[in-house]
Amino acid sequence: MPQTTIYVSPRSLGAPDTRPPAVATTDLARLFAGNPALAGISLRVEAGRTVALLGPNGAGKTTLLRLLCTAIRPSYGRASVDGLDLDRQAALVRERVAYLSHATGLYDDLSARENLRFAAAMLGTPDAAGRVDRALADVGLASRADDRVRDFSAGMRKRLALGRILLGSASLVLLDEPYAALDNDGMSLVDQLLVAWREVGVTVLVASHSTGRFEALLDGRVTLERGLVVDASGKGVESTPPPLPGDPRPSVVEVAR
Amino acid sequence: MSTLRAEARIALAVARKDALAELRGRHATVSTLFFAAVVLLLFGLALGPDAARLAAAAPGLLWLAVVFAGILAVNRLHLLETDDGALEQLALYPVARRAIYVGKALGGFAVMLLLGVLVLGAVGVLFAVDVAKAWLPLLVTVVLGAAGVAAVGTFYAGVTVRLRAREAMLPLLMLPVLAPLLLGAVKASAAALAGDPFDELGAWLQLLVAFDVIMIVAGMATYGYLLEDG
Repeated sequence: MPQTTIYVSPRSLGAPDTRPPAVATTDLARLFAGNPALAGISLRVEAGRTVALLGPNGAGKTTLLRLLCTAIRPSYGRASVDGLDLDRQAALVRERVAYLSHATGLYDDLSARENLRFAAAMLGTPDAAGRVDRALADVGLASRADDRVRDFSAGMRKRLALGRILLGSASLVLLDEPYAALDNDGMSLVDQLLVAWREVGVTVLVASHSTGRFEALLDGRVTLERGLVVDASGKGVESTPPPLPGDPRPSVVEVAR
Repeated sequence: MSTLRAEARIALAVARKDALAELRGRHATVSTLFFAAVVLLLFGLALGPDAARLAAAAPGLLWLAVVFAGILAVNRLHLLETDDGALEQLALYPVARRAIYVGKALGGFAVMLLLGVLVLGAVGVLFAVDVAKAWLPLLVTVVLGAAGVAAVGTFYAGVTVRLRAREAMLPLLMLPVLAPLLLGAVKASAAALAGDPFDELGAWLQLLVAFDVIMIVAGMATYGYLLEDG
């Protein structure tokens, strides 16, 4: 079981209103084989907010998260994280972003502890051994710390991937379907993490099909459909709509065609 | 200096991780060693029982076995990164990507060195070649050759790791680039075994050093682009 207080270690974050927007995009688009997965979105998320990215399958939620963590590059448009340009300052962006994807990025032949120790080395985590033990306890895997990840269930793998995020000092956390594959304890762990990150001013974007479980923990909601923002509501979230028919600005989809 | 130290720590962490995974799974070493043994046996059978011919061919057979098996080894080491999105996660860590290359190449070098030493011993036994009399120049040749195969293999395994046909593509890409290394290593080994009568060993070792330096520098400079997913 996770401990009552989860240890999160963000970099020194000022008051949210003194920080640049955590996420700012202008006509951001990504095409795969000519098809727009993200078709030009202009979105601004204030620092320190917890925001849900909603929408059906193929809406562009995962593509947006992968662009923001620099896993893929934009086809068009610009984006920044904490005021850092994704294209020109990707290395600095990577210091500030943590990403939980559908794939956990874990090594099957290593134990849970060895996986986290490797992550701690790559993240430059101070007091790595102690922090790894703490993270394992926080995600409820202390008793399985020395077992190979190959033998873990999907839910345990997801817990361990969440533990990896706890080793870093991200100011923006991107979670793609964090509740998927988790049991009730695991889902409570995600709830606790969302609360802990909010308390220290970390911005969190959560991609999900619905907000049922974590509605009360949210500041804002962004709904995507077919690669476009169709609704942005709540605190700290703004979106500029794409050009309307007749607008002299060409839309990214038109340019792509 | 602190940047260099930090990158060295990252490289060692990557190499340690690969070594741990290899110790657990033995994906690279076991299959590669068997493959190298089979290559040597088949070449021996093809050349026939003539001891003089086998001894003359030994340096070439040694390096063909090392290079062929090395291609398998670097491929297997990179397949670790296909575990459940591990390659993408590796690319997202806030570290210099050249340090990741050096770490992967170090892991490959360790496997290649083990492979080279064992294949050298096997050549001595199977082809009745006295490798002990020239053990030092042979060992230097194996070290330089292992470093070269690891440097080239780490880069090209990074190129092919996302491809479906990676097992077919990797040798096609690697073998032409490894031709100078193969030539230098075979000539250096032959000179060492013959007692270096024409004083050419040093020149061939210099070729291997130059090859290694060029390939390592090129790999460090370009590996980061391979981690990008478009």
